[in-house]
Amino acid sequence: MFVVRFLEKIGQVFISFLMAIGEITVFSYRSLSAGIRPPYYWKQIAQQSLQIGYFSLPVVGMTALFVGVAMALQCYLGFSEFTAETAIPSVVMIAMTRELGPVLTALMVAGRLGASMTAEIGTMMVTEQIDALTTLSVNSHKYLVFPRLLTGSLLLPFLVFVDDIIGILGGYLTGVYYLGFNSSNYIHNTFSSMSSQDVISGLIKGVVFGFTICLMGCYHGYSSQGGAEGVGRATTNSVVASSIMILLLDCILTFVLF
Amino acid sequence: MSFIIEIENLKKSFGKKTILHEVSLNISPGESYVIIGGSGTGKSVLIKCILRLLDIDSGIVKINGKNVNDLPQSEMLKTLLRCGVLYQGGALFDSLNVIDNVSFGLVYGYRKSTKEAYKIAIDKLEAVDLDEKIAFSFPSELSGGMKKRVALARAIATDPDIIFFDEPTTGLDPITSGTINELIVKCTKEMGISALSITHDINSLKFISDRVGLLHGGRIIWEGSKGDLMTTDDPYVQQFITGSPIGPFTGKND
Repeated sequence: MFVVRFLEKIGQVFISFLMAIGEITVFSYRSLSAGIRPPYYWKQIAQQSLQIGYFSLPVVGMTALFVGVAMALQCYLGFSEFTAETAIPSVVMIAMTRELGPVLTALMVAGRLGASMTAEIGTMMVTEQIDALTTLSVNSHKYLVFPRLLTGSLLLPFLVFVDDIIGILGGYLTGVYYLGFNSSNYIHNTFSSMSSQDVISGLIKGVVFGFTICLMGCYHGYSSQGGAEGVGRATTNSVVASSIMILLLDCILTFVLF
Repeated sequence: MSFIIEIENLKKSFGKKTILHEVSLNISPGESYVIIGGSGTGKSVLIKCILRLLDIDSGIVKINGKNVNDLPQSEMLKTLLRCGVLYQGGALFDSLNVIDNVSFGLVYGYRKSTKEAYKIAIDKLEAVDLDEKIAFSFPSELSGGMKKRVALARAIATDPDIIFFDEPTTGLDPITSGTINELIVKCTKEMGISALSITHDINSLKFISDRVGLLHGGRIIWEGSKGDLMTTDDPYVQQFITGSPIGPFTGKND
């Protein structure tokens, strides 16, 4: 009996997982197919651009600076044992552009924006504001979801790029002003080993992560039920799902872009 | 005779629980139909099924002669422009001020210019006895009664053919409820708009209804005019009107 119940439980979880994938696919199809047709809600797109692109800059910038500084210090500890300190600039650069830049930016934006998107849309859901949008002849997917998906996909790469620059700058400041590197050597070592592939792979990750964060934020907002408690639960689920998806997709994309 | 709303054998279930069993009703142009019934009997679900906010299991729902379940989404959105809805909690958009809320359907539905939409919105605010000074206030700055008035102004802004009122006086004091009832009658009768309302408020029912239907057990079990309501010996209606705890309503599944 125990084995049967155990297998039933596994089956239920697996079916729920497949259902969730199906629902998210249908949800994104609805939003994209509605969004690409006119009329376009430029005001919504501009508002979301500000939210995602502009107001995320301080938190992304600070994260990048601190990580760049810490990266250079940690690398120095390890590399100095093999007198390989000259590799620090290129390691910091590759780590920031290929891995830490996109992943940390995405995780910070998921925490800041994914949560607020779910809370905002979830509150609209439970207070019938989304029903009101529909009865006022507005497709809610087009008005609420598409502008977020579009701006998330377009502006997260921009944030990743800013993160790369500030992270590398953090490494430079530590290397030159704390570890005593020569400034021009540090800069030369950074850029001599840099290829366009390093930056582009990070930006591609940014597009995928931006879309994923906004999709998860909006989908969980629409799934909110039962008042404040339901919105709180949806917000938690949104951030957890976004974070796991970011790390999973990062792993897959790193293999693809390796 | 053409009806503005025609419902035939509408059935709606959530999982294994059937909420509406073959509900049928018709509303004529200019008529105010009120549905009464206990909590949880599916009154709000019925309105959402009519507006296709919920998918139905079976049956036919027509608005202005169009079967809403056969319409593609773009056509459905156009049909909804001819309907106004006053939601129970107002459902005003928190991020928009009063005038943007009221003019929303005009700007996004009818694609009117902001200037033209604002002009109409100010007229509608005046129609619900609101001063244009509150036009740039946000919903969070308004009292419950004012929110209902703004929501009513939004519902009538597009000059709809029918307005749906979902418990319009719930949560309001008797004086404000009376004012909202008067505004509903003023907006529907003076503008010749049909209305489908759901309410528990007997005073509201007497004031705004032409015809009344009692929803119980997922069916309309009694239907009659406002006058019939006071004279009928139907035990369900009698209990609902008197509010007596003794009678056919058990309160368990009402």
